[in-house]
Amino acid sequence: MTPQAIQNTTGTVFNIQKYSVHDGPGIRTVVFLKGCPLSCHWCSNPESQSFAPQLAYNANKCITLSQCVRCGEICTAGAITRGEDDTVAIDWEACTKCLACTGACPAGALITYGTTETVADVIDQVEKDASFYARSGGGLTLGGGEPLAQPTFALALLKESKRRYIKTAMETCGHVDREALLTACRSLNMLMFDIKCMDTSRHKAFTGVGNETILANLTAVVEAFPKLPIRVRTPVIPGFNDTPEEIQAIVDFLKRLPVEYELLPYHRLGSQKYTSIGRDYPLGDISLDNDKFLALREISKQIGIAKK
Amino acid sequence: MSCCVSPHEQRLLDKIEGKEDIYRASHPRVFKILETFDGMRPIIDVERAQYFTESMKETEGEMLCLRWAKALKHIAENITVYIDEDNLICGRGGVKGRYGLLYPELDGDFLGVAIEDLPNRTESPFSISEADARIVVEDIAPYWKGKTYHEALNAAFPKEVHKLSYDDPEGLNSRFIVNETSSFRSSIQWVHDYEKILKRGFGGIKKEAQEKLDALDPLSPIDNVEKKPFLDAIVIVCDAIITWARRHAVLARHEAETCTDAVRKAELLKMADVCERVPEHPARTFHEAVQSQWFTQMFSRIEQKTGTIVSNGRMDQYLYPYYKAEIEAGTLNDDEALELLECLWVGMAQFIDLYVSPTGGAFNEGYAHWEAVTIGGQTPEGRDATNELTYLFMKSKREFPLHYPDLAARIHSRSPERYLAEVAETIKDGSGFPKLINDEEVVPLYVSKGATFEEAYDYAVSGCTEARMPNRDTYTSGGAYINFVAAFEMVLNNGKMLKHGDEELGVKTGDPREFKTWEEFWDAYEKQHTLFLKTAFHQQYVINNLRARHFAQPMGSAMHDLCMKHCLDLHTPQIPEGINMGYFEHMGLGTLVDSLAAVKKLVFEEKKLTMDEVIGACTCNFEGKEDVRQLLMTAPCYGNDDAYADDIACKVDSLNVLFGQKYAKELGMHNDIRYVPFTSHVPFGKVVGATPNGRYAWTALSDGSSASHGADKTGPTSVLLSNYNSKNYGHRDRAARMLNLKFTPKCLEGEEGTDKMIAFIRTFCDLKLWHVQFNVINKSTLIAAQKDPEKYRSLIVRIAGYSAYFVDLSPDLQNDLIARTEHEAM
Repeated sequence: MTPQAIQNTTGTVFNIQKYSVHDGPGIRTVVFLKGCPLSCHWCSNPESQSFAPQLAYNANKCITLSQCVRCGEICTAGAITRGEDDTVAIDWEACTKCLACTGACPAGALITYGTTETVADVIDQVEKDASFYARSGGGLTLGGGEPLAQPTFALALLKESKRRYIKTAMETCGHVDREALLTACRSLNMLMFDIKCMDTSRHKAFTGVGNETILANLTAVVEAFPKLPIRVRTPVIPGFNDTPEEIQAIVDFLKRLPVEYELLPYHRLGSQKYTSIGRDYPLGDISLDNDKFLALREISKQIGIAKK
Repeated sequence: MSCCVSPHEQRLLDKIEGKEDIYRASHPRVFKILETFDGMRPIIDVERAQYFTESMKETEGEMLCLRWAKALKHIAENITVYIDEDNLICGRGGVKGRYGLLYPELDGDFLGVAIEDLPNRTESPFSISEADARIVVEDIAPYWKGKTYHEALNAAFPKEVHKLSYDDPEGLNSRFIVNETSSFRSSIQWVHDYEKILKRGFGGIKKEAQEKLDALDPLSPIDNVEKKPFLDAIVIVCDAIITWARRHAVLARHEAETCTDAVRKAELLKMADVCERVPEHPARTFHEAVQSQWFTQMFSRIEQKTGTIVSNGRMDQYLYPYYKAEIEAGTLNDDEALELLECLWVGMAQFIDLYVSPTGGAFNEGYAHWEAVTIGGQTPEGRDATNELTYLFMKSKREFPLHYPDLAARIHSRSPERYLAEVAETIKDGSGFPKLINDEEVVPLYVSKGATFEEAYDYAVSGCTEARMPNRDTYTSGGAYINFVAAFEMVLNNGKMLKHGDEELGVKTGDPREFKTWEEFWDAYEKQHTLFLKTAFHQQYVINNLRARHFAQPMGSAMHDLCMKHCLDLHTPQIPEGINMGYFEHMGLGTLVDSLAAVKKLVFEEKKLTMDEVIGACTCNFEGKEDVRQLLMTAPCYGNDDAYADDIACKVDSLNVLFGQKYAKELGMHNDIRYVPFTSHVPFGKVVGATPNGRYAWTALSDGSSASHGADKTGPTSVLLSNYNSKNYGHRDRAARMLNLKFTPKCLEGEEGTDKMIAFIRTFCDLKLWHVQFNVINKSTLIAAQKDPEKYRSLIVRIAGYSAYFVDLSPDLQNDLIARTEHEAM
């Protein structure tokens, strides 16, 4: 592809987050691509799962129907109804996903998750913080969803970043096309790779897919890019993988690989977002015991920082 | 999860639980002293005003500088002297505990009312005894009636200027439109050349003045009428401070005689020796150097009100030789050095800069004073200047929970990594120190304004965010604070303001409903803006010509190379070779820019609203118009690195820069745009109705060069970049910009958090921004403190170039702090 073609490539982005300090080295900007092949029960970005732009509604921001009826006037499907406290309630069954109401809402209560963007526009945004990357060793992180579920767009974003000397990192669930993954690695300074569970049927029950492709992809990346820094991460989810046996199994798999390893504690910060897109939170009211997590973290420390 | 509270928050929680402060054991002396005045309401001490007035009555008709010196001598001979229990450093201007002094020569016409109002004022209240109140009302105030600077200024303002300055004919209340500040701060803030006193002593300066006297031409009219009384004044004022210091020596010796504690007795005898030696003679030890500095600084506070206090200067530089020599000789260790410095801090903390006028009180909430200690930076030769003492100052800030003095860390492109790491760790501690000032902006700017590189490299931070070169800068009175959000309101209302009804205040720019294009709207805005600038500069012209008739500063002049060379008092409007660095203040940049952007976008570009709808919604304070308010708030805002808003900010800034460039020359000074509100964005907001950025009527404006509350949505990197985007780097006609950022402790957790803070500071330096300061605190802590002030008495927060006890602030300002956008780890 020519540089021009790369810059004009489009894809669907649902968020660009600046001053991100926990997603790779330095001060970074995370670009979240929409759409994911997995549907993890604990997913904290449920708006990232479907590929198409979608409606979200935050009742806290609604200024009430007595102040404003713009959404009701524009909706032809009758999906805007009167809810508690005179705020809008969405009839998700009736909604035709035309998204017209999100353009009409002045308060930002009705919004669209996911817009079509060109590579040039996205990287222009990312490049704005270049002076911070230069001082901190930061740069672009591609996140999602699963970035490689939009392979052409993701690869173009990475290539354009490299062209502008912006350092790159990517977060992946691993359940992606092998070729796309290996191509991406050529433009990456760091890869963050999720391993959630070593038991494939259990993996399938909680994420919608088995783990064969994921494990094989990690091995393939390590073989093809022995010098690429890789940080494997496991979200620790109560009732899914929060036992010493589960974590030890992952550690045993990783032992022969030159990777860093990090456990991420379960949090419920995304649960509100389920409500906003008309879904129930699949995990209900569970929580992760901190002492339990710290004990698991001790197990994870068997995997040191294997490479420089 | 670990680290959800800052160390400062943790110490507060410990205190609430009744645990001892973790640093108390290693700093026993100063913790004990702190407990004697912590959280106490300040008391007004009238002695300074009383003796000053007595002397001034006797010297009418003589040269002002000489009168001032005689008054200081009278004060020095008669004012009560104190040796504070447990303290190793002495010298105070008033009663034990937190106290403030009166300066009737400045604003004595307020005194009668103020003495009644001060104890009940919401912002920074003071107590006064009945007997002292009587002295003020009967002995002090009557003499100054008709003689104060403020009355003269009020009378001198032309009608058109007065109208935008004051609410009433006597000028007692500000309009908060084009607000003059010179009448509650006699002058701009100042830094003395303390090094000169440490090296030569006031005895050395006295000798210099006597030699100059001897060399005067006995027949020359200038030598005899101008120079002789000036030099006489210098001799008298040197004697005055030496007399005052020696009285401390006598008292210390006297107290030692009756002291039964052998340890304290030895301390008192040592203090007596020190006070006999300095500040008359050069300091020989670290203790003498610290005491000499404090006598000088404290007597300067007695000399006159220097608006926001004289600063401490580059303490890690001028104290270093004494520290180093004693460390090498083994006569001093770090703990002892720290203890002496902290004895100084508790002295500073007890002196409160008292503003008797309500305007002054509202400008400086939380008993603000800014005796900034400058650390780091570069040597006059342009090399890095950090030393072991630099680190000791930061250690003191982390371990001793006191918000005085302010700490200012100079940052430059080659600041060592250890220095930045300790700066970051100190910021993470959470009490707001240090503030950062950027050499890469200040040094070239000061060179372009006429300094040599050596002088510019050696600048000291002064007051809130300013920088001074103690022997090159000359005095300029505090400038106008201009409410440009009011100018915007005058565009919406054809020259009127909601608060003032039908009164014609601004330019009649026409009914904005008739405007067809954004350019027409902008032209109208520019006319109102220019009227305010014109008013500010007219004010300054009057002030510059008036000041020297009301103020003299023999002691400050004694320490200034140029004053001594030319035999001119520091208040002289023009001193040969001096650089007058004045400023005027832009209030509410974020509020203004966001309002302009909202009108441009929603009315003229997207046409989603009519001008009539916007004006209607603002006039009724958005009541029943929440949809209009929300629509307006969809416009781009300053603080998000968004060119739409930032270009407007840059354009507004250039109006200020270009006006200063053209007209400052006529004032004989640099009069440059500054963005530093102290706490005044709260009272300035109280006169402006609702604005199209969604701000409700009478609420605070945005502060300094920070974004409007909650408008900065894309994180702290964008806040810095918007600041960068809105500056006119091509012109030298700019002064300080204050920038506030609030982080949650979680965001800066651990070594990684420190590393990222260092990178953030280095980028701030790269961007050549002037100043930045941080609150590292959880919003929940502020809310808890507001509900339960007793428990959170020692919570220190960053306000505006200074830190203060949160519970000392008015509810309005507390809410303003809570509303500042909190940057979290993303």
